[in-house]
Amino acid sequence: MSVEEVNTVTEATKNTANTAATASNVEAAAQSQASPASNATTATNATLQPLLEVKDLQVDFTADDGHAVHAVRDSSFSVYPGQWVAIVGESGSGKSTSAMAVLGLLPGTGHVVGGSIKLNGQEIAHYTPKEFVPLRGSKMGLVPQDPMSNLNPVWRIGTQVKEALVANNMDIAHEKRSSLSKALASADVKINNEGDETFLGSDKLAQLLEEAEKALIEVGVEGDKLGRRMAYFKDEWVPGSETRWRVADDLIKSGVEDDKAWYIAKKYVTGSTMDDRIAGLLDEAGLPDAATRARQFPHEFSGGMRQRALIAIGLACRPELLIADEPTSALDVTVQKKILDHLQMLTDSLGTAVLFITHDLGLAAERAQHIVVMYKGQVVESGPSLEVLQHPQHPYTKRLVAAAPSLASQRIISAKEHGQDATAIMEHAVNEDKLQKSEVIIKVDHLCKEFKLPGRKELFKAVDDVSLELKRGTTLAIVGESGSGKSTVANMVLKLLEPTSGTVTYEGTDISTFKGKELLDFRRHVQPVFQNPYGSLDPMYSIYRSIEEPLRIHGIGDKASRRARVAELLDMVKLPATVMQRYPNELSGGQRQRIAIARAMALNPDVIVCDEAVSALDVLVQDQVLQLLNDLQAEKGLSYLFITHDLAVVRQIADDVVVMQHGKLVEHGTTDQVFNDPKQQYTRNLLDAIPGGKLELGLDL
Amino acid sequence: MSAVDKLKPVETLPGQERYVAPLEETPLRDIDTLDDSSPATSMWADAWRTLRKNPLFIISGILIIFIVFVALFPSVFTKENPNYCTLERSLEGSMPGHPFGFNMQGCDVYARVIYGTRTSISVGILTTIIVVAIGALVGAIAGFFGGWVDAVLSRIVDIFMAIPMLLGAIVVLQMFRSTGSIWKVVLVLALFGWVSVARIARGAVLSSKNLEFNTASTALGSTPMRNLFRHIIPNSLAPIIVIATTSLGSYIVSEATLSFLGIGLPTTTVSWGGDISSAQTILRTDPMVLFYPSAALAITVLAFIMLGDAVKDALDPKSRTA
Repeated sequence: MSVEEVNTVTEATKNTANTAATASNVEAAAQSQASPASNATTATNATLQPLLEVKDLQVDFTADDGHAVHAVRDSSFSVYPGQWVAIVGESGSGKSTSAMAVLGLLPGTGHVVGGSIKLNGQEIAHYTPKEFVPLRGSKMGLVPQDPMSNLNPVWRIGTQVKEALVANNMDIAHEKRSSLSKALASADVKINNEGDETFLGSDKLAQLLEEAEKALIEVGVEGDKLGRRMAYFKDEWVPGSETRWRVADDLIKSGVEDDKAWYIAKKYVTGSTMDDRIAGLLDEAGLPDAATRARQFPHEFSGGMRQRALIAIGLACRPELLIADEPTSALDVTVQKKILDHLQMLTDSLGTAVLFITHDLGLAAERAQHIVVMYKGQVVESGPSLEVLQHPQHPYTKRLVAAAPSLASQRIISAKEHGQDATAIMEHAVNEDKLQKSEVIIKVDHLCKEFKLPGRKELFKAVDDVSLELKRGTTLAIVGESGSGKSTVANMVLKLLEPTSGTVTYEGTDISTFKGKELLDFRRHVQPVFQNPYGSLDPMYSIYRSIEEPLRIHGIGDKASRRARVAELLDMVKLPATVMQRYPNELSGGQRQRIAIARAMALNPDVIVCDEAVSALDVLVQDQVLQLLNDLQAEKGLSYLFITHDLAVVRQIADDVVVMQHGKLVEHGTTDQVFNDPKQQYTRNLLDAIPGGKLELGLDL
Repeated sequence: MSAVDKLKPVETLPGQERYVAPLEETPLRDIDTLDDSSPATSMWADAWRTLRKNPLFIISGILIIFIVFVALFPSVFTKENPNYCTLERSLEGSMPGHPFGFNMQGCDVYARVIYGTRTSISVGILTTIIVVAIGALVGAIAGFFGGWVDAVLSRIVDIFMAIPMLLGAIVVLQMFRSTGSIWKVVLVLALFGWVSVARIARGAVLSSKNLEFNTASTALGSTPMRNLFRHIIPNSLAPIIVIATTSLGSYIVSEATLSFLGIGLPTTTVSWGGDISSAQTILRTDPMVLFYPSAALAITVLAFIMLGDAVKDALDPKSRTA
C-alpha cells in the first residue's frame, strides 16, 4: 500500500476534513452539534482517529539540587495512521524527550508532569513501566539514533532480531497486518484471511520456483520472458517475508490461471521458521544476503548496515507507530537516502505511522507530511510540512529555514534559474577573478598515503594520487564520504602525517624539508580547526590560556600585549571578553568552535585547514560559524582548505571543489561547475542525496 | 514514487492544522549566546564544589584532620609514655588517667593507641608518596612513548602485578627481620605497590595522549615534550589522585598486617598491628585490650577509603553511583 491509497481515504472525507481545517477550533466545531458539517466531522473522526495524540505535554527533569527543569512545555501534536510526522529542532529543544515520553523511556530523572498522551484513544501518559511493556514492540517501535551503541556487541544480529520477536510473542509464520492497512483496504481491496498471510518458508522455496516455472511454461511463457519472470520471482520471493497471497498475485499477473496460481501458492507457501523470518525481516530492511548476515556480529557491519538491522528490529513486531530518533544522522548522505527510501517503502506497505525526529529541515520537508517545530521545549509552529517550510511564520522557523544549508543552496540555484542576482542570497560568492589571478599558496602534488591495516598483508591506500592547488584568498573544499581519505589529505597538508609519496608545497617550498625553526614558521602560517569542538580544547585550560597558547609557543609579546591580543581575537569571533576566565566545559559546541577559530587566528595565519569544522553543530550555529569564516576571509584575505562531507555546506563557503572517493580525486571544478554541471555519476549521486535538495523552501524569505 | 509526488498537498486532518505559537510565549534568544549566569569554574573548582557538598567527604575529612592532628601532637592527648610498662599493672582495668586500662605487659593501652596513630599515618602517607612518584613516572613514560618502551615497562609491571603485595612483602621482610625502622616497611610496600599506580597512569596518559587537543597543540607548533607536560600530565592527574587516596588506607592495613605477623615494624615501635598481635593471646579474658587498637585501625582506614570514594565521585562524575 502506498501513500496514494492513504490519500484516497482522505479524499473520501474531503469535505468534512476541509470544514475541520478551516474551523479555527476543531473541538468547538465538533461540539456545536447544530451544523450538519460538524456532525460529519464527528463521523470522520470515528473512521480516522489519530493514532497518537499528544496534548499539552509537560516533561520535567529533576536537577541535582532538586529543582525541576522543564524539558518540554505545553506541547501538542498528533500522528495519524500511515503518516510521517517530523519533529525538528536544535539540540536541547525537547524533540527527543517528547518522543521518549511517548515510549515511556524517559532517561534518568525525567517524568511526565502534565498533559496527555493518547495512543489509539487510550491515555498512556501515566502508565507505569510495567504497563508500557506490552505497548512497546507491538504497538510502538523505536529506531534509535546511534547505530554504533544500540546493538549488543556480543550477540549475533539474528539473535537480536529474534529477541524482539520472542519478547512480543510474534507469530513468525504469518504476516501481521496493522489495523490501518485493513481499514484502508476496506473499499476495493479484499481483506486477506489469515491463511493468505502465511509466509513462504525456505524449505519449500526451491519446489515453489520449480512449480512456478512449470506453470509459466504451461501458459506459454518462454525464452527471454520466462528467464526474466523467474529472475523476478527469485528476487521477490524471500522466505520469511513473502506471503501466500502475494505469491499467488505474482503468478496471476504473470499469466497463470487463478485456480492454478492459488493451488501452487497454497501447496508451497506453508509458513516459515524463525530463521526464515529473521532473514526475511533483515531483507525487508534492505540488507543483502540476509540469511548469512543474520549470523554475523555487529562489529562485522558498517554503520549503514547496523542502522538497517535496527530498522528491522524496530519493525519486527509490525508496530502501528514507529519512532525514529535521528535514525540516519550518523551516516553519509547517500547511505541516508538509501535507508530512508527503504524505510519509507516499508512503512507505506505496512501502514505504519512514523514519528520522525530530525534536526535536518530538508529531510523533514522531503519525508514528512506534517511537521512540528520545537524550540526550547515548546512547539513553536506546526502544520503541513511543505506549507510550513515554504511560508514559515514563527521567527524561529524563519531563522531555521534561512540557515539550512541544503535549502540555501536550493535558493541560490532557483534565483539563478530565474535570472536574478544570487549574490544577495549567497553568503559566499565564487570569486572567479581571484581564482584565476591569485598565486598558488598550497600545492598538493601526486600525494599518496598507505596504511598498514592489522591482520592484512597488502597496504591500504587511504589517499591515492591526489593533486590539488589552493590559491591565496580562496576556499577549496574537499568533499567526500567517510573513508574517502579527505581528512588524511588535511593531516598531510598540516604536516601531522608524512605522505608515503608525493609532495605538499607551501609557497613553493616542499614542507617535508621543514625542521626546527622553519617548521615553527610553517606552523605559524598554516593553522587547523578540527571537527570535534569538545575534543580540540584542553578541558584543564581556561579560554584565555587556550587562545594564548600559540602566542606563548611562538614567544610573541609580553603578558599585557598577549592579553590584549586575546581580547581582540575574542571580539573577532564575537564572544565577550568575560569568556576568558571560563573553561571549555561551560561553553556550547558552537562557542567552542569559535574559540578554536580564534586560537587559529592568533598568529595571523595565511591558511586555515578546517577539518569538518562545522559538521557537529546545529544548523543555526553552523550558519553563524560559516558566516564568521566568510567574514574573516573577506577581511584578512585568508585561504581555507575546507574538508566536509556535506555538499550543501560547500555551496555556502567554497570557490573551488574537489570530490574524493575511495582515496581518489574524482572531480575538480569551481563550485558553480560542480553544482550546476557535475561530470561524474558519483558527484551527481552526492548532489541528489542532499536532503530536500529538490524542494524550494522559504519562498517568503 | 518520488519525494516530490509525495508532497502533493494532503488534506489537513483534525488536530494537524497550521499552528504558530504566539511569540510572547516563545521568546527568541540570540543564536548561541553565552550563559553568563553561573560563575566561571575550572575542573578543579568544580570538583571542589562537588566535594564540599558530599557528606562522605565532610565526615571523612573531619576524621582525617583529627587523626593527623593526633599523629602530629600525641602529647596533647596523653601524658603517658607508651613504652613505660610495669608488670604490676598488667591487665588492670581503666582508671583515672588511663581510660583504656593496661595490657599484659602493663603498658597504658590509651597511650599506645594514641602513639600508634603516628606510625600508621606515616607509613600510609610515605608509601603513597613514593608509590605515586614511581608509578606515575613509569606509567607516563610507558604511555607517552609507546612502542618498545611501553612493551618493556608493561611487562615489568605485569611481573610485579603477578606477585601479591602482602606475600611479596612477607618474603622480603623475612630477609631483613632484625633491623630497620618504619622506612623498611614503607619501601617494601612501595616496591610492590607502585605497579597499580603505574597501570592507571599509563592508561590515563594513553587516553589523554589521543585526545584531539594534543594534535591541535602540535599543529600550533608545540613539541611533543611540551604537550606531555602542559597537556597530557595535567589531564591524567585525576585518576592518579583517586587511586592514591583509595590505596592509602590499604597501605595502613598492610602495615598493620605485617606488624601483626611480627615481621613488620620492630617491637620497640608502637604500632596498632603489633598491639593487636600481642593482645590476641588474651582475647578470651581481656577482649578490650584487642578492641581499642583494632577500632582505631578500622576508623582510620574507613576514613581514608571514604575520602577516596568522595574524591572519585568529584573527579570522575561518570563513575558516580546513583
